[in-house]
Amino acid sequence: MKKELIELKVNGRRHEIAIEPNKLLLDTLREDLGLTGSKRGCDDSSCGACTIQVDGVPMLACTMVAASYQSDNGGNEITTVEGVAQHGALAAIQKAYGDWGGSQCGYCTPGFMMTVRALMDRNPEPTDEEIRHALSGNLCRCTGYTQMYQAIKAAITAEQKGMAAK
Amino acid sequence: MSLPEFKLLRPRSVEEAVGMLHRHQGEIQICAGGTDLLPSMKQRLFAPKYLMDIRGIDGLERIRVTPGLGVELGALTTLSAVEDSGFISKNYPVLHEAVKTVASPILRNMGTMGGNISLDTRCLWYNQSLQWRKSCGFCIKKDGDLCHVAPGGKKCWAAFSADTPAALLCLSAEVNIASPQGYRRVPIAQLYNNDGVDRIKLAKTDMITSIYLPESSAGWSGAYKKLRMRGSIDYPLAGVAVAVKYRGKTVEDARVAITGVNPAPHLIPDAPHALVGRELNEHAAMVVGELAARVAKPLTTSLLTPEYRREMVRVYAKRAVMAAGAASSN
Amino acid sequence: MSKENFSIIGKPVALVDSAGKTTGQGKYADDLSIPGMLIGKILHSHLPHAKIKKIDFSRALELEGVVTVVIGKDAPNTYGILPVGHDETALAVEKVRYVGDNVACVVAETESIAEAALELIDVEYEPLPAWFDPEDSMKATANFIHEQRPSNLEKDYHHSFGDPDAGFAQADVVLENRYVANEVTHAAMEPHCTLASFEFDPQTGLEGRLTVQSSTQVPYYLQHKLSIVLDMPMSQIRVIKPLVGGGFGGKSEIIPLEIIAAVAARKAKAPVKITYTREEVFLAHRGRPRTIIDLKTGIKNDGSITAVAAKVIQDGGAYCSYGVVTILYSGALLGALYDIPNIKYDGYRVLTNKPACGAMRGHGTVNVRFAFESQLDELAAKIGMDPLAVRRKNLLKPPCITVNGLRVQSYGLPECIDVVARESKWSERGKNRKKSRGLGMACSHYVSGAASSIIRSDMPHSTVNIKIDRDGGVVVYTGASDIGQGSDTMVAQIAAEVLGCKLGRVKVVAADTDLTPVDIGSYSSRVTFMNGNATLRAAEEIKRKIVAAASRKMACSPEDVIMREDVVYKKGMSPQTSSLLEKVLGKKDDAPTVSGHVEGQILRGSVQQKRKEEGPKDKLSFEEAVTAAMDNTGALTGSGSYAPPLEAKGGKHKGGGVGPSPAYSYSAQVADVTVDEETGEVTVNKIWAAHDCGRALNPVSVEGQVIGSVWMGLGQALQEEFVWKDGLLMNAGMLEYKSPSATESPEIESFIVESIDPEGPFGAKEASEGSLAAAIPAIANAIYDAVGVRLRESPFTPERVLSAIRAKNNLKKIEMTNRVDPTAPHKLREHGGSLWFKGRGPKRHEDDPARRAEHAD
Repeated sequence: MKKELIELKVNGRRHEIAIEPNKLLLDTLREDLGLTGSKRGCDDSSCGACTIQVDGVPMLACTMVAASYQSDNGGNEITTVEGVAQHGALAAIQKAYGDWGGSQCGYCTPGFMMTVRALMDRNPEPTDEEIRHALSGNLCRCTGYTQMYQAIKAAITAEQKGMAAK
Repeated sequence: MSLPEFKLLRPRSVEEAVGMLHRHQGEIQICAGGTDLLPSMKQRLFAPKYLMDIRGIDGLERIRVTPGLGVELGALTTLSAVEDSGFISKNYPVLHEAVKTVASPILRNMGTMGGNISLDTRCLWYNQSLQWRKSCGFCIKKDGDLCHVAPGGKKCWAAFSADTPAALLCLSAEVNIASPQGYRRVPIAQLYNNDGVDRIKLAKTDMITSIYLPESSAGWSGAYKKLRMRGSIDYPLAGVAVAVKYRGKTVEDARVAITGVNPAPHLIPDAPHALVGRELNEHAAMVVGELAARVAKPLTTSLLTPEYRREMVRVYAKRAVMAAGAASSN
Repeated sequence: MSKENFSIIGKPVALVDSAGKTTGQGKYADDLSIPGMLIGKILHSHLPHAKIKKIDFSRALELEGVVTVVIGKDAPNTYGILPVGHDETALAVEKVRYVGDNVACVVAETESIAEAALELIDVEYEPLPAWFDPEDSMKATANFIHEQRPSNLEKDYHHSFGDPDAGFAQADVVLENRYVANEVTHAAMEPHCTLASFEFDPQTGLEGRLTVQSSTQVPYYLQHKLSIVLDMPMSQIRVIKPLVGGGFGGKSEIIPLEIIAAVAARKAKAPVKITYTREEVFLAHRGRPRTIIDLKTGIKNDGSITAVAAKVIQDGGAYCSYGVVTILYSGALLGALYDIPNIKYDGYRVLTNKPACGAMRGHGTVNVRFAFESQLDELAAKIGMDPLAVRRKNLLKPPCITVNGLRVQSYGLPECIDVVARESKWSERGKNRKKSRGLGMACSHYVSGAASSIIRSDMPHSTVNIKIDRDGGVVVYTGASDIGQGSDTMVAQIAAEVLGCKLGRVKVVAADTDLTPVDIGSYSSRVTFMNGNATLRAAEEIKRKIVAAASRKMACSPEDVIMREDVVYKKGMSPQTSSLLEKVLGKKDDAPTVSGHVEGQILRGSVQQKRKEEGPKDKLSFEEAVTAAMDNTGALTGSGSYAPPLEAKGGKHKGGGVGPSPAYSYSAQVADVTVDEETGEVTVNKIWAAHDCGRALNPVSVEGQVIGSVWMGLGQALQEEFVWKDGLLMNAGMLEYKSPSATESPEIESFIVESIDPEGPFGAKEASEGSLAAAIPAIANAIYDAVGVRLRESPFTPERVLSAIRAKNNLKKIEMTNRVDPTAPHKLREHGGSLWFKGRGPKRHEDDPARRAEHAD
């Protein structure tokens, strides 16, 4: 099939790439932009391993046609897990997932990073129930989710301390 | 799994979109959130020549309140936006309850109201990969001649598996449809066919643009109960919506609807008789449960057995009625 | 808890590869690509059992972008994970044996071209009768699934230890019940992926070495099986394990795509990557078999168990896989948890025309443990004893050897029971009882690796090399396969503790057959015990060299040299000296950073250092000590290996090699559940789980493994199961296979019990599997406590629970489970639809079960 030229804005950078019109955003990120952090886990839009953010909103890159998310009308700013660490350091949530066992095999972790970041941005002090609810669209097969809750709480505390220090 | 080949169309207006539907009749598919369509396309249930992404159309992603008339939900309003709307949760609680049970939080960020009401019917013998469907010899809904859940008949019994239409039925919602002939409004109660294949009364050139919630249904207390194995992600294996209008403690009007069990969502016709003019109590709720279970015709379209799903329609209808009663007294 | 003063062991540390996982920088197999790489897609059989008469792929080859098509005869050598079970080929050679069996592989430029080409392959089949139910399958007289396996019986074992008949005669109460545990699968989040590429041999100019990067738990077995199928020497094959996104046993043997990718790369003369779709992952399967358990237990009125007899039938699917081992574990692990004097076991591993079952977390023990712990509660009720007391009554008295030959040394089960009893307030459960809410308890155990390896060899099960070179870095070369359980971190911790260096100084090079010594793989929970011991020994060897040099420098005996946290000092000196120094230098005591100034002391060598430093010292930096040891030599190396001791290898009976382990982990759990009596829905409110892991090398990791195991058991208990219809898997995807979401996953509180095993590294035993099995019966027992119904078929789905409740309450019976009475299940839970109806349906053989209804009409 003929490729077409599209422009995507990913992690703050513009990319002009030629892709087939039926190409999934997930495959485009992984194959054309080399951003392999977002994972494919299911094929039926149920697992959340491919979660990215579009304008800050978590979405499933495996269920999006890349050419539909071009940056030509101001919006559609895509953030992937590769865009989470900033200023040369792990984000608090990335550090906390390591420290508290939120990540074991790590395959679902990029998706969780995107979901949890969106939660923390939207709701800086979520209740336990809100955290559980927010995480319910991402499946993990290793952790039983328990240590993730500890990691998220630790990250929230760390961020609050960081804010206080500023 | 890749998507089949298609040409992507991205109209900027309803007129443009309807023009495209007209031009490419029969070989075009509308895609809004894509959460139902794209996985099905990976399974080769659909392989349209054109995929029309309508997300670029302005004005279809909003909740507009017109005092005296009600609320208009644009077809592209995401399920998350409806869930987060304080106005909806206050005035149309049954819709709020239903919408927050749809799939998962991430899928609700993508899925739209228009998409949810026009969801394809689902069946374990249908929502499978091409390889799998070859193994079962295909089915009457796609590429085959046999319905594996009711093999003696000629009808497709795939279950209508969207949550919000049950709530919308209780609210007497109407659907605004654009076509080359202009716009028309159709009560949602007249939108569905109760046929697994030909599920919805939309012509090939029709496009849903918005949903109206009448002001007369505002303020009814409501509840939605959903049967599923997991607390998230899953489609409903049965769903019951209840909306009740009170005068004091007495029920002035009531509607009960079910979804997830038949090829269409259904209002329970006799339910209002069981409720109107009395105070809500467990006995009335049980009667509604019996009435709902009589309408439910689940077959082996899912992993839970039909008998269990039907029984749950009875229990969930009873509980939804009681919950709607409890909500009103708060 | 022990009081040893370790610097790294026993401290919670982040997994050494965690940053790669949280940033997306870590590479899993599917994240890799090679220039010129092609994509492979596999055509699967749509019939359950059929002869292949003809495969015509000429139309596929005509499609632009298709490079080649591979079929069975391109690589017909048989292989299998067990030496006794070499019954698989890369692609089907003569016949297909299940819906999903591998028929051909298209190699093309892109995934979508390959997918399109699959539709252009024409296969002519001659359908054969198929078997889907193991009890039917055993009655077969012809058309066997494998010709060399008459009656479709893969293997049967008949064991008798002690005097079971006498044991039952002594019992005051004997119960006999049938339990059924339906089939579950690993569903690791990462779908399997393999990338294979050949390089040219510069000497011959021909195709040379093969490199395979694969999502595997067993890189060395993969290397071995590739050499068999490809007829290549192992030395010419390199297997590299990148990050693996979960295994749970599903990657613990050679999965078809791993062989197919290599065969395809050879035929396509280009690198080939194959990544399974999620559906293919379900069809490759190798999960926990549906198991039918007829269990009989005898007990005295004082609570002591007198005898156990189990007849176990496992529905193994179409290939042997690990089946012979699974059926043996099911019997062997009746022992080593409680003191049972008489054990009788009859195990049948049966072939059926379905995807092969294999090893899954808690391999072999889980389903039988569900039956045993359920029946033990029933017996306790019969003799009027508390379920917890009856378990305490039957504890082993280690060190001991069980009647079936299992050696038990460390045994933390009594403490595990105490901990969960205390935490769950077990003794107060009678007070303030809430309706429909109950507590249930159960115990389980698991091996820390098998004492005899499946390849029947005397070689060590693990070997580890360590190198320290002039950069001061400690590099550990280990064959251990980290699949997310944290083995790289375990190895780094042990090396750092022994060598007395900071964790950040240790780099782990793992699971690359060219670089790392043989380790037989990540399965049967063997890695911490075996690879950990090998690492410990390698580190000790290298430490001896450093200590010898340091003792000369410090003018003391080697016994008085202490290495700790990057400082080498004389015994008796306070290690705080170093902290003081670091404080002066502005470094924090607990800073995880590696010591050593960047002046390059090591590169200069100790002779030059001597000029600056006079006389013997009390204290050396890690670099100084290493430099001293390296005088006149190159890099320091140490090597260690581990082979289980002879005493741990068990009895001499047939099949006696499976079950014995150098050490067993123990678990006790209490589950708190609420049952909705109107819907049958079970809500688990909380699970308390205590696990004896010997010593917790990394507590945060141990807790994660324990919680993860319990959680996976919960999934099997309540909602996960394969649903079949005439050999078709109805729920081959994450949407319909109900792995629990965060919403219904309860709080699981884990408690670590440390029994300090005499042979484990720092006393450690396994932590990742032993807790799974107890979760299922703990929930079953809690359901009974809550509503008085006994669930003998897992999972306890709402329809099964509601059926049982209605039966108990004499309510109108509703056929909720497709005529399977949950109190006496006797046949497969088949999906209720019909595959075949009056001549319509797939072209199955006329004796296929799908068409039997037709004869009945």
